[in-house]
Amino acid sequence: MNLTLKALSALLTYPTAEIQSVSGVIGTVLAADSLIPRRVRTDLQALVDDIGTGDLYDLQERYVLLFDRTRSLSLHLFEHVHGESRDRGQAMIDLKGQYEEAGLYMSAAELPDFLPLFLEYLATRPLKEACETLGQPAHIFAAIAERLRKRDSAYEAAFRALVALSTAKPKDAEVSALLQLPDPDANDLAALDAAWEDEPVNFGPGSGDGCKDGIVARVRGAMRPAPDMPQRPRS
Amino acid sequence: MSHFLDRLTFFNRGDEPFSDGHGILTHEDRRWEDGYRKRWQHDKIVRSTHGANCTGSCSWKIYVKGGIVTWETQQTDYPRTRPELPNHEPRGCSRGASYSWYLYSGNRVKYPLVRSRLLKLWREARVVRTPVAAWASIVEEPAKREAYVSKRGLGGFVRATWDEVTEIIAAANAYTVKKHGPDRVIGFSPIPAMSMVSYAAGSRYLSLLGGVCMSFYDWYCDLPPASPQTWGEQTDVPESADWYNSGFLILWGSNVPQTRTPDAHFYTEARYRGAKSVVICPDYSEASKFADLWISVKQGTDAALAMAMGHVILREFHIDRQVPYFGDYVRQYTDMPMLVELVKQNGRLVPGRLLRASDFTGDLGETNNPEWKTVAFDEASKSIVAPRGSVGFRWGEKGKWNLEEKKSDGEATKLQLSFADDRDELADVDFPYFGNREHDHFAGTDHPSVLTRKVPAKLVALKDGEKLVATVYDLFVANYGIDRGFGGAHVAKSYDENVPYTPAWAEKITGVPRDQIITTAREFALNAEKTKGRSMIIIGAAMNHWYHCDMNYRGAINMLVMCGCVGQSGGGWSHYVGQEKLRPQSGWLPLAFGLDWGRPPRQQNSTSFFYAHTDQWRYETVGVEEILSPTAPAGPWDGALIDYNVRAERMGWLPSAPQLRQNPLDLAAKAQAAGLEPKDYVSKGLKSGELQMACEDPDHPDNWPRNMFVWRSNLLGSSGKGHEYFLKHLLGTTHGVQGKDLGETGKKKPKEVAWHDDAPKGKLDLLVTLDFRMSTTCVYSDIVLPTATWYEKNDLNTSDMHPFIHPLTSAVDPVWEAKSDWEIYKAIAKAFSRVSPEVLGVEKDVVMTPIQHDSPGEIAQALDVKEWKKGEIDPIPGKTMPAVTVVERDYPNLYKRFTALGPLMQKLGNGVKGMAWNTEHEVELLKRLNGEVTEEGATKGLARIDTDIDATEVILSLAPETNGEVAVKAWDALGKTTGLDHTHLAIPKEDEKIRFRDVVAQPRKIISAPTWSGLESEKVCYNAGYTNVHELIPWRTLSGRQQLYQDHLWMRAFGEALCVYRPPVDLKAVKPVIDTKPNGEKQIVLNFITPHQKWGIHSTYTDNLLMLTLSRGGPIVWISENDAKKVGIADNDWIEAYNSNGALVARAVVSQRVKDGMCMMYHAQEKIVNVPGSEVTGQRGGIHNSVTRVVVKPTHMIGGYAQQAYGFNYYGTIGTNRDEFVIIRKMKTVDWLDKPTADQPEPLTVAPKNAPETKLEAAE
Repeated sequence: MNLTLKALSALLTYPTAEIQSVSGVIGTVLAADSLIPRRVRTDLQALVDDIGTGDLYDLQERYVLLFDRTRSLSLHLFEHVHGESRDRGQAMIDLKGQYEEAGLYMSAAELPDFLPLFLEYLATRPLKEACETLGQPAHIFAAIAERLRKRDSAYEAAFRALVALSTAKPKDAEVSALLQLPDPDANDLAALDAAWEDEPVNFGPGSGDGCKDGIVARVRGAMRPAPDMPQRPRS
Repeated sequence: MSHFLDRLTFFNRGDEPFSDGHGILTHEDRRWEDGYRKRWQHDKIVRSTHGANCTGSCSWKIYVKGGIVTWETQQTDYPRTRPELPNHEPRGCSRGASYSWYLYSGNRVKYPLVRSRLLKLWREARVVRTPVAAWASIVEEPAKREAYVSKRGLGGFVRATWDEVTEIIAAANAYTVKKHGPDRVIGFSPIPAMSMVSYAAGSRYLSLLGGVCMSFYDWYCDLPPASPQTWGEQTDVPESADWYNSGFLILWGSNVPQTRTPDAHFYTEARYRGAKSVVICPDYSEASKFADLWISVKQGTDAALAMAMGHVILREFHIDRQVPYFGDYVRQYTDMPMLVELVKQNGRLVPGRLLRASDFTGDLGETNNPEWKTVAFDEASKSIVAPRGSVGFRWGEKGKWNLEEKKSDGEATKLQLSFADDRDELADVDFPYFGNREHDHFAGTDHPSVLTRKVPAKLVALKDGEKLVATVYDLFVANYGIDRGFGGAHVAKSYDENVPYTPAWAEKITGVPRDQIITTAREFALNAEKTKGRSMIIIGAAMNHWYHCDMNYRGAINMLVMCGCVGQSGGGWSHYVGQEKLRPQSGWLPLAFGLDWGRPPRQQNSTSFFYAHTDQWRYETVGVEEILSPTAPAGPWDGALIDYNVRAERMGWLPSAPQLRQNPLDLAAKAQAAGLEPKDYVSKGLKSGELQMACEDPDHPDNWPRNMFVWRSNLLGSSGKGHEYFLKHLLGTTHGVQGKDLGETGKKKPKEVAWHDDAPKGKLDLLVTLDFRMSTTCVYSDIVLPTATWYEKNDLNTSDMHPFIHPLTSAVDPVWEAKSDWEIYKAIAKAFSRVSPEVLGVEKDVVMTPIQHDSPGEIAQALDVKEWKKGEIDPIPGKTMPAVTVVERDYPNLYKRFTALGPLMQKLGNGVKGMAWNTEHEVELLKRLNGEVTEEGATKGLARIDTDIDATEVILSLAPETNGEVAVKAWDALGKTTGLDHTHLAIPKEDEKIRFRDVVAQPRKIISAPTWSGLESEKVCYNAGYTNVHELIPWRTLSGRQQLYQDHLWMRAFGEALCVYRPPVDLKAVKPVIDTKPNGEKQIVLNFITPHQKWGIHSTYTDNLLMLTLSRGGPIVWISENDAKKVGIADNDWIEAYNSNGALVARAVVSQRVKDGMCMMYHAQEKIVNVPGSEVTGQRGGIHNSVTRVVVKPTHMIGGYAQQAYGFNYYGTIGTNRDEFVIIRKMKTVDWLDKPTADQPEPLTVAPKNAPETKLEAAE
């Protein structure tokens, strides 16, 4: 097992007492891995220290706010790829099939596109293959890292490390496209309401894309912002 | 050091053991599964069910692929029950799962078929004649009529168009109506509950015509007359879910896992919950395997067993120790405290009739119906009172017909059960004993025919002097032979004394060890004591199909009543024989019998009809003296069995069809000419002899039934008791009757019925059958119409087994030329309206109907039986003779009337079982729902009933069970009579209106209605008698209570005032033929039993290839190993069973399961599948009914007497057949009759000379 990937998986998992207790080991493993640039490693150590020494309740509160409540930081990769599109279901089935081909059967109550789970899978693959696979969502890692940077979050380092491990580097255009999307504060209740408000559906002449079915609706569904994001101004 | 990083957090590798190490994970390719996915792909799923007569009433998913029905699976979406009670699903069995075979089977009737000889005659006649004249020219010419009548059953069908066949039928009907009368057009269809619109289609047509609908529940012998006798209710039983609430279940002659497959899980689950179960059954049936104790009783002796168990219960729970619950129950809910006069007869005392208020000076203050108010002794006031609830309170007054323990004036009472402690004397009272009658195959005892026992009695002052009276309770206990310390003979202190009805006595009769009897009775009662009545008896056809079935049933009912089980959750009497429960009955009745256009309809009890018109009475072997009681009161107890039926018809007890020798369309005009009201004209004419009842001469051509429709039934096959007599006399074709009639044998002939030495051969001019399969009945018909299967039409379905209503829906259109029953009868009605003006216009039809149960007329002759024919009383319509009503028929507008809801619904309202309510809202609703008729004419502005779905909406809107608003009205109507408020039972559902599309979406639980005696609630399962016990609604009997003492003169004459053991009757069908046709093989005489089977009942008849493949592929008869050995029969040998009624062939199934001395042939095996010729008759095979003949029972003919008053399928003679014995022997030669013979018709048209020989046999 590739211990670096496994360690990153653990760091991105909901902090528990067990993870706290193994933070020393994680630090040792990461410090030894030269694939990750030194600067990133230093930052990672800060995250490891954070987790190892912080108050568990504070750590968990931070994790929930960031990763569970903030849609733009979701650890479910397909959230950033497919949004609410129906394509997401099949993509998850395919991914699960890929795990099973590798002799791995999901035993946790998670979705196949959950990043720590995905990293654990990669940890069992040959390093070359793992780094190549990691390149596919590299632009998502880069965008999340950028959003975390804006929040001054120690978790930024974990995503920088993932970008660094990827064979293919993220294309700027893809990253900036993702960064175009709004990234509001999860505690902004007005934004939350706005995101969940049902859009009126108009029929007949002039209603344009009023019909829910068809390609327009699918695109809109896919582009629909997360619940805690304000509506983009209509074009 | 932690191993955290080495361990997988989110995955496992599939190598960890699971399921305690029993699990294995494999990795082979699973793409082959796609083949199955494609195999089970379908375009749509449609909800339907199997709907001629299967009680299961299971909702099914019908899968359709490319417009073809491919298979079916069980629906599982029944509404849930409630916590701690299992749900109803899964419902459905292997028979239902193979039904789709029928749609495309080779046996499907695909086109309208007509006997070619008839069609040729018709086409010739039609060239120069109008339709009715054409028909007249055929049937009025004996040679022409004979040409097709004599070939019935011998092939010779050709296809015809719908236009042509409907014209033939319409012309025949119009001719018959005009020439003989509409009461000569009859129709038979069973079990409307299972497809009520399909039934209603034919019955609506017939009723608008003035034709006769024939009963089925009594004819099928599913009706237990003990139920109307005891409860005034046709049959009302707990739903199967209520089995689960029981603590002690006796399965008596009922094979639940085999014949009630979809419900059997409740039985299994009840046993898991801890209920005990005893199975009483002669053979080791499927059900026997579930028993804690299997009691192998000698078949036909169940009453003896029941009486002995009753003896134990009385001894231990009523006499030696009194259980307060049991005592209170029988005091309030049974006639046990009622008083019976003890009558001096030849210097001895016998129990007479129940005393009435009218027997006392001043009528006990009762001014309304004092002759119909039973009386009891009140412990509180130490006086005789007429307690509320008897039938006298039901009619003519309001508010006192209830079971409150009160006198008429409202004062509280406590009725005294026994005079043991305050008797005036111990009277010596005579009870009849029948167990000493000789029978070659049933053991008896040598006790005397009259058992005199001591009964505590009081001397009471009546209008005509002092008389000794006793309570029903004291008579009841004495009848069981219990020694209460009064001394005297024929009573027992110990169970080991051989006295009727001790366990030791029963051991001799039934072969059941006495300790089994004692244990079962004790535990049954003990459970009921602890649970307040949660002991149940599930009872089956095996008990009901005996001539003296009433004794079997009343014996079991007595046990239940003694233990307070009837009307209690988890308790009571669960008779699941046939399916009577058309839940939305009152909505269906107007549609089915045209009550929206004319009332009353003509309805006939089939058993008496077929007994007379298939001339089975001409072969009667049972004399009245063989069944008369040794204690019978003086009376005219001579004559033959049919004489009693004729007397019953004359007195208005039983219906008559045809009614008079005269055409009922001519009577109104004659009455007018005579200046009389039609009813007076009829009564005068009958008295003077100017008019004659048709029943007095059933063989005279004037009195023959002429046209007959059969639909949804295999009347001549599975349902034709005395099959060979049907063939010989009703149809006039080749038959296998072996015996000689009373004329040929020189025996005593009936007194009331004219005898013709030449028996009629072929009473019917026309037999029309609608079916989807070429059944035995179709084979014998003149016209066969292809009808839609159960997956090709829209209809409704209910059952007594569960509380849901659900639909049949059309998954595909009817294939080939088939149409739904609704569309077929509509087409016939249309043709009739076109053809009939040739001879018919608007006519006045004088309709005679028997005195109806649940009508004010049901209290006709209170104290005695007086016959107008003998000059004992005047003929008074509706009182001492049939009621007479004039009904207007508009023949040219029959089709318009058929397809619109007539004006009488608004004018007269609707009702059922003695309740009535208005229907204004419902009629308006239907106009909006179905639309109004817009065409000019007789029906403009009325609600349409055009499609089968329109028809379902009529039923659903008018019925309280499916329209909450109507339910409230119905409960309110009942409350006016009882003086109690019952509307709380329906008010929570007042706004619920169930529509056809609702039940298509999901089965719906029906709404509680006073039509039924149980509740559909969230608290209790449906259980019969529940509202009698808990809402204090009286039973619809003479005393208003459960009637254990049957005091009608005829009941006393035939020894059944109280329950007694009566051995099976000797039908004498073996001796006349046993040595007449030897084939060299050894013979054995066995009792012939016809239970339901595993490979075909109701949802698949015994011609379904899938089911036949699982059995032996054709007819089989089960016999015991010992009996088989005696006559050298090996398993699977071809055998023949025969007696004087006819013969049948089958393969032998030799099994340890069967009791020695009996054989079993499963019901409804077809003549058309794998049946070779009979050595005895020379004809093809025969069916199980070939060796049977119906024998009617006088006590089933009683009428005009509260609960013993006629109702369609409610009371009347029943088609029992298990007293029959057959001779069985191995066949010497198996001849498949596959070469043309003299009696097979020559083809009419040119056919290939060397047609390939076809063999019906599936596999040798």
